[in-house]
Amino acid sequence: MTAKAEPPALEVRPASKSASNRIGYLLVSPYVVYNVVLWFYPFVWGFIIAFQKWNIISPEREFVLFDNFVAALTNTQFWNALSVTFKFWAFFLPTVTIASLVLGMLLQRVNHFRGLFIAGYLASYSMAGVAYSVVFALLFSGNGLINKWLWQMFHVRIPWFSDPRIAIFSIGLLVVWKFIGYYGLIFLSGLQAIPRELYEAAAMDGANGWTRFWRVTVPLLNPCFTVIFVFATILAFGIFTEPFMITGGGPLGSTQTFKLLIYQKTFENLEAGYGSAMAILMAALSFGATSLVRKAIEREVVLS
Amino acid sequence: MRNHRRLLGNIGQALIYLVLTVGVCFWLIPFAWMFLASLKPTAEIFTRLWPTRFTLEHYELIFRGGTALRRPFLRSVFNSFSVAATETAAIVAIGALTGYALGRLEFKGRDLLYNTILYQMIFPGILFLIPTFLLVMRLGLVNTYLGMVVRFLADATAVFLFAQFFRTIPRDLTDAARVDGAGELTILWRIVIPLSGSVTAFVALFNFQARWNEFLWNLIVARKYELMTLPVLLASFTHEYGGGQYAGARMAGATVLTLPMLILFVLARRYFEEGVVTTGLKG
Repeated sequence: MTAKAEPPALEVRPASKSASNRIGYLLVSPYVVYNVVLWFYPFVWGFIIAFQKWNIISPEREFVLFDNFVAALTNTQFWNALSVTFKFWAFFLPTVTIASLVLGMLLQRVNHFRGLFIAGYLASYSMAGVAYSVVFALLFSGNGLINKWLWQMFHVRIPWFSDPRIAIFSIGLLVVWKFIGYYGLIFLSGLQAIPRELYEAAAMDGANGWTRFWRVTVPLLNPCFTVIFVFATILAFGIFTEPFMITGGGPLGSTQTFKLLIYQKTFENLEAGYGSAMAILMAALSFGATSLVRKAIEREVVLS
Repeated sequence: MRNHRRLLGNIGQALIYLVLTVGVCFWLIPFAWMFLASLKPTAEIFTRLWPTRFTLEHYELIFRGGTALRRPFLRSVFNSFSVAATETAAIVAIGALTGYALGRLEFKGRDLLYNTILYQMIFPGILFLIPTFLLVMRLGLVNTYLGMVVRFLADATAVFLFAQFFRTIPRDLTDAARVDGAGELTILWRIVIPLSGSVTAFVALFNFQARWNEFLWNLIVARKYELMTLPVLLASFTHEYGGGQYAGARMAGATVLTLPMLILFVLARRYFEEGVVTTGLKG
């Protein structure tokens, strides 16, 4: 340290370009090697398997071209999974968006205990899918707590998970419960980034609260809406644990999501090629839906 | 007039607190109900909210009688912890090394790797489930710890978060060390990591939570009871003994699964909040 008494012209880049390259490669090598073996290789192999007929345990495999894809697309279960996913999405996305936006706006208006409230709403996000699934299965069961309250208050009982018309929406409700704190926090941070002056200027121009909400808040929260819509869309395609634990895909296939279907085909029926083809179709659908959602709502927001 | 307004404002404030408080109580019902049910005698789980007496019989059943039900719950807690801790350690270590190289060094191909990582972050994970399992099977790793952890040793988002954060650390700090002859690893370990406590804590906590809660992958790799993690063991228990008789035992299992994460979450709330906001807005 004492040698620095007379600072020389600082040339601190590693001696040569090749030395700099070498240390860079050395540091990224664990990540790169790992991803070649466990990302790139499975990725390519997944496509190859999808063109084969293979039941996992036997050594026999044969190329069947597009048979698996055709089989998937002509199977009613595949279209059923798509409809289940769509129903979930159509319920989950607006519900969770509105609920968490309201939560974010309420949180923005409190000065005390804000951290405590956030922790309370965010706690559900820390709970394992398996854990809350077994809890909700009992809470929402025929004689569970929720139905008991409903009976006392309104004299109705709702067959949450046993009626094929509503089971997927009940699952949607659980997922809203899980994510409201997470998304609410995203909205809160977006709301806090909106300058106060904008509201004051709008109020000066005679805009009432409702107009200010639609003309200032909503447009400026566009990045939050985009993120949450994208998350919710990816999520709709990725639902697995809740139906696996609570309904097993039933009643009457009404909660048989893509991931559950792929799991059953591949790991219960051992049809690896068929499962892979479905996984590819699902990934393409998920990716396409996400891009569409993005395109539909994403706007450039300039906050000076 | 002004007093009138202030009164209205106060009432509005009070209403907001009321709504948030009622809401949060409502939101925490599943936690409270699970915890209470795990301590109630079986006969009272569905009939009484507050039990006439508390009992530990359900915990005894899963932890001691668990072997009688052929399911070693205690062992599964150990499995869950070991698997999640190993994966988290690897994700943090590899994430920090790669993030440091991407965020602060210059080398050929850096931008290509960075863009690949951004791409990996949004890639549908379902594409990898089957081929990775087949790879693990071919390597003879089904029903092994290695088979479980091998899928989650590195994480693109972790690399991204580290790279983004490391970039914000002033150059002067690391340049000075470099002049003194410190190697890149020393700089990372001695200077950069100590300045990156919050992002390191977030990556570690977030991944530990995700790995502790992991279900599908561990479900297909661990088929022997001795190797199952807690979520997988609890799922298999639920599927075999789904009825009312073992409801208390299931709630005890769910409590054991939830409590460590809840405690961790309450203790490290700040990092979770900061991290959720950054990943939410940048991811």
